[in-house]
Formats: sequence, C-alpha cells, structure tokens
Amino acid sequence: MIKKKWLVVASALCLALMLAMLPVLGSACGGPEEKTIKVGITTPSTGPAAEKGAPMGHANLDAIKYVNEELGGIDGHPIEVVWLDNAYDASKVVTNVKRFMDEGCVLFATSSSKMMSAVMEIANRDGFPGVVAFNAPVLHRPPQHIYGQMPDYGDDWTAFARYYMENIWKGTGKPKMALHLLNNTTGYGALDAAKAAADELGIEILPPEEHATDTISEIESLTRIKGQNPDVLYISSTPAPTAVIIKNAVELGLYPGVTIGLGHAGITKALVDIAGTDIVEGVYGVFPTVNWGDNVPGMAKMTEYCQKLHPDDYGNMDYITSWAQSLIIAEILRTAVANVGYDVLAKGGKEAWQAVETQGIQKLNYDIGGLHGPVIYTPGDNRLSKSVRLFQIQGGEIVPITDWIEAPLVKYEEFDWFGQ
Amino acid sequence: MSLPSGTRNYTYAQDMAILRTKTHWTLLIGFLVLLLAAPLYLGNYWLGVANLIGITLIAATGLNLLIGYCGQLSIGHAGFIAVGAYTSAVLTNRLELPFLVGLVCAGLMAGIIGLIFGLPSVRVKGFYLAITTIAAQFIIIWVINHWSLTGGFVGIKVPYASIAGFEFRSETSQFYLIIGIAALCTFFAKNLARTRVGRAFIAIRDNDLAAEVMGINLLYYKLLAFFIGCFMAGIAGSLLAHWIGFLNAEQFSLTESILYVGMIIIGGLGTTIGPIFGVVFIRLLQQILTVEIVPFLERTFTTLPAGFATGLTPILFGLVIVLFLILEPRGLAHRWALLKSAYRLWPFSY
Repeated sequence: MIKKKWLVVASALCLALMLAMLPVLGSACGGPEEKTIKVGITTPSTGPAAEKGAPMGHANLDAIKYVNEELGGIDGHPIEVVWLDNAYDASKVVTNVKRFMDEGCVLFATSSSKMMSAVMEIANRDGFPGVVAFNAPVLHRPPQHIYGQMPDYGDDWTAFARYYMENIWKGTGKPKMALHLLNNTTGYGALDAAKAAADELGIEILPPEEHATDTISEIESLTRIKGQNPDVLYISSTPAPTAVIIKNAVELGLYPGVTIGLGHAGITKALVDIAGTDIVEGVYGVFPTVNWGDNVPGMAKMTEYCQKLHPDDYGNMDYITSWAQSLIIAEILRTAVANVGYDVLAKGGKEAWQAVETQGIQKLNYDIGGLHGPVIYTPGDNRLSKSVRLFQIQGGEIVPITDWIEAPLVKYEEFDWFGQ
Repeated sequence: MSLPSGTRNYTYAQDMAILRTKTHWTLLIGFLVLLLAAPLYLGNYWLGVANLIGITLIAATGLNLLIGYCGQLSIGHAGFIAVGAYTSAVLTNRLELPFLVGLVCAGLMAGIIGLIFGLPSVRVKGFYLAITTIAAQFIIIWVINHWSLTGGFVGIKVPYASIAGFEFRSETSQFYLIIGIAALCTFFAKNLARTRVGRAFIAIRDNDLAAEVMGINLLYYKLLAFFIGCFMAGIAGSLLAHWIGFLNAEQFSLTESILYVGMIIIGGLGTTIGPIFGVVFIRLLQQILTVEIVPFLERTFTTLPAGFATGLTPILFGLVIVLFLILEPRGLAHRWALLKSAYRLWPFSY
C-alpha cells in the first residue's frame, strides 16, 4: 500500500511537471512561421469605456487587415497583431503589455490615456515604445518612450478657449469658465492646460467639479456651478458621463444659456446617441480627426472597410481615430524597416524597440490621407499630430466649424504645480 | 488534523507540526522546486501574472484573516492596498527612503488606517460594517486624488524595489521578492490561526456574545484583526507600487475590493489555503478569458457579430463564479479537503 501511495505522489509530481512544461513544449512544436512583424494593441472593448473601446478595437484591426491585404504589409511582411481587451482595468493592461513584450512585439498601442498611464512606467523602464490615441500631458511630459498619436486633452482646452474668446465671447471683462472633469487624466489634462494658459487668454476659471465614469446624476455639482453664474462650461470626459452632465444642465436651465465645450474624449456619435439630439444641440467640441464623409483622400478606403466589416461603427469618430492609429503604426514600421531592415525588427526585444523608436517614430513625416493633422515627430515633443478642429453638434450631426488649428507645445513639467 | 491510516504522533512537537508526514514534505518540496524554477520555464508575461497573483495573495490572505477567521466584513480592501501603495511611493520617491522602510511603513500605515475604519466594528457588524468599510474605500481614494503629496489625479512614479544596492529590475527578481513575501505572509497566517489570537478570532466570528462571555476582549481582537488584515494589504500595495512603477488612484477601485471578497469566498473562507486557490482561480480565469479565449473566438468565428466574442468575457466570468458558488459553496478549499480525505482513507474511503 505504501508503494502505491508513493506511486500516486510520484504521478502527481510528474503531472505537475508536465503541466508546467507545456508552454515550453508548445513553443517548440510550432510549424514553419510566416515572417511577420508583431505589434501589440490593447483596447477597453469591455468594461466602463466599451462604448469607445469596442469601435476603436474594430478600427485598429480593420486598418491592419487593409495594410496586410491591399498594401502588401510592410515591405512584404504582414503585420501580426497581438490584440487584447483590457476591460479598462489597470491590472489587466499591465499583464497585457508584459505579454506584448514577451511575444516579440516591436511596439504597442492603447486607445485610452487611463490605460496608458497604468503601463507607461513599465514601458518607459524597458524602452518599449507605445502609441496612445487619446492623450494626456502626464503621458509624455517630460518626453520618454510614450507617444501621443494626437494632441492631448490640454491642447483641446486651449483650442476651445481660444476659439471661445475670439468667436463667441462678446461680453466685457473676463468670462467665467466652469470645468467639469472626469476624475482621471482625461479630465485633469484639461485642468493642467487651464492652469497654464487661462490668465494669458483672459479667462477666469471657477473651482473645478469632478465626476466618475459611472455617474448617474450631476445635479448637485451643476447647482454649485450655476450658483457662480458661469459664461461657459467645459467638460473633459467620455460620452456617457458627458451625456449625464448635459442632460442635468438642461434640467437645471443652465443650458441653453451657457456655452458648452467638450474635449475630444466626449464629442462623438455615442454622445448624441446616449443624450439625444435635442439635448446636445449646439454643443461645441474639439476633435483631432476629420468627420465621416469629409472629402479627404483617406476617407474612401476607411469607409469601405467599416461598412464591410463593422457597419454599426459607421459614423463613430472614434473609429476614425483608431483606423488612423493603425495606419501610423504601419508607417512607423515601414520607416523603421527602410532604415534598419526587417531582421532587426524580427528579433524583437530591446534592439528592435530602440530601432522602431529612433528609426521609425522619430523619423516620421506622414500625411495620413487627411484623416487628421500631419504626423511629424518634433524633437522634445512626443505628440505625433499637433492639430485639432472645432466641431458643433447641429441637428444631431457633428459638423466641423474651423479648419485645423495647430496646438502649441506646453512644457508642463516646467510648472511647479504639474504632477501635484 | 487527521493523518493517513497508520500514522501516529508520539510528541507534542509532532502533533503541532504543520508538515507531519514524509508525503507532506515531499509534496511541499516538489511544489517549491516547481515554484522557484518557474523563471526557467515561464516567460515574462506568465511571470508577470505570477507576480500579480503573489501580490493579490498577500492582500487576500489579510482579508481572509479579517473576514474568514474573525468574521468582520470588509468591502474596502482595495482602499487599504492603496494606502500601502501610496505610502511606499511617497517615502521612496519624494523622500528617497529605502524600499524596506517604505515596505514596512506601508504595512504600518495601512494597518493604522484599518484600525481607524475598524473602530465601528465594536458597535456594528455584518452589512452595517460592510457599509462603513465601503466608506473607507471612497474616503481613501478621495484623499489620494486631492492631496498634492500623492500626485493627485496625475499619479506618482515609483522607483524599482531595491535591497542593499540590488535593484529588482527584472520580472524574475521581482518574482522571487514577491513570492518570498507571499510565502512569509501565508506562513504567518497559517500559524496565527493556530494561536490564542486565531482561536479568539474564530470565537468572535462564530458568536461574539459567547466569546465575550468567555473572556475574549472584543475591542482588542476585532481591532487586531483589522490591523493585521490591513497591514498585509499595505504590504501588497507597496509591492504593487514598485512592480508597476506608477500609481494612479483608479487602480484601486471598488470593483477590485469586491473581487477580493469574491476570491476568498471562492477559495474557502477561514482556511489558509483558501485564498491561494481563490486568487489563482480568479486571476487565471481573468487572464485566460482575456488573453486566450476571446482572441481565439474572434479569430475562429469570424461570422459572429462584431464584439460578440469580447462581450463574452464578462458573461463567462460571471457565469463561472455563479456556477462555482452553486456547485461548491464552501469553496475550493473544501474540495481540496475532500481530495485529501479520499487520499488519507484510500483504499477504504467508506
């Protein structure tokens, strides 16, 4: 009987060893591999930001499909995407990025500033280059290995504030601006810009109010705001809470009356769908891409793929952002392969990451078919595109009202209050 | 504790030992060899998952002492982890103190904050106590977001952990640090449960009135449970901070607090091995669903509606937990006990 027990123990140990060795055996048993270039993409396709993350994930993958099938990949090498959902959860995105590094990805991309803030230090520590679509100053000031695809939430505020002062404000003295901010980098990126530039623009900033992604009522905070007689309300948030705030503002009689401006995380088709056309009529917003149907060279192919693969996403501006993000990734890889050759990138690891960053990202000079501003790297400025446009919601449509506005670089790290 | 047929204890030391047979020792040594050799056969990603499991285990072990042994319901554990994480971050980043000082202070600070929020436990219990600990979660996160010392909404960078000049830079070195501390915490919890303190906790959990009648100081032991449980949360927070390298209050959400309670329930409340099973189960389930199953479904079933496979993640996650609670409400630890019992009595298991 004792022998049998030892047999059981030995069997259990063997089984445990076999299970533990499975990853090694699995990697050794692969067939002939295609010569691809791996990139990691993580989007919040489920969870509290899924209304933005899901279409962005679709767009990322659709654009890579287009690059591989119609453009022949990168110098004949298909882009292989390791795509993972992060559910807007910090612990998940951390392991996602470690997975990307482990799987030989040469760079990674996220859509949200919150997700990038959770992993940026991991990437910066190892020099693993990352591109983030929606961007906040803290992600790239001071500049390291994280690159903003587009201007940041601070740039949105500056662009809107300038437009407001030049085109909307007709009063005397300083207009009072109330800020309603999402309680993370999306919201507080706008506050950073307001602190940096409000005096210069001649705007009085009222004490900011904040909200969470799952807010269901902001009557209390808006009542406080109303009590201070603001001229303009700026909201830097995602569509669902933005819809709640605007609905509550209408209920309180605050809007129409004050001017409402939105950062680029908030002004999208999802906002109109959630809040309703009448509620958001006349609201202004800043967005760094063109709108659907605009007459730009990159529109036709994107529209074709969207309608073929994800027709429900048609009309969603977040789709444009991420489609453009994937095209930028392809251009980064194309530039890097042209400069250092495929073999350096194929190895993965730190040499490939450095090559992608110094010979790919930092050599970018790319016109992205007019989908957003030109993508040019400027030393010391990790924002790849620096242009935004003002939009206004008119009859349920998000209509552009300005041409591209260049957002100047703000060196936030030189302000004592930054990061405090 | 039951022993296999034919095994006897002849001294008190043998009777008190945690590992009492050669089989116990063999299994433990085998497990430790497998565990310590993990960096040889796991890549950085799986080591990262192991590190996350280790950190979560430390916090869950503390919560298990509080809820599972002492019966004090706490739904603010992520808040206490945040206290530890930010204490360590502020001490090592802003004041440039050594990691070990940050680690110990993180535990102490979280323990003290836990003591403060544990005070209502003297007067209230059950759901009422749960509400006060939820308040702790919100208050702590609010303070972190609005205090300049913690970096507010922007967050704060945290340097690598280092001891005596050695920096824990690689995933492998961090693995040994985290797993080492997790093993120490588990060993501590196992022993604490066998002491006078542990027995007092169990007495309070089972019937606090009877415990008081027996001479157990409820105030002292309830607060002690809060202190120890939150101390471990603080240690976990410190390790998390140095592992990720950047802290933002959003990493410590109420959802995470609820998940911790779920982990110890699924693992088995009031057992030392329960948190291990629960943490491994939940964290692996999260990873496997996100990293393996959903991308596989997206690739394989291309005719599925857009986003269908991704939407399956939370559904499957919830479904597995619900089924688990229905089929094994006493947790994985109970299933483990049945397995051991079958082995002990084999071949006469009737």
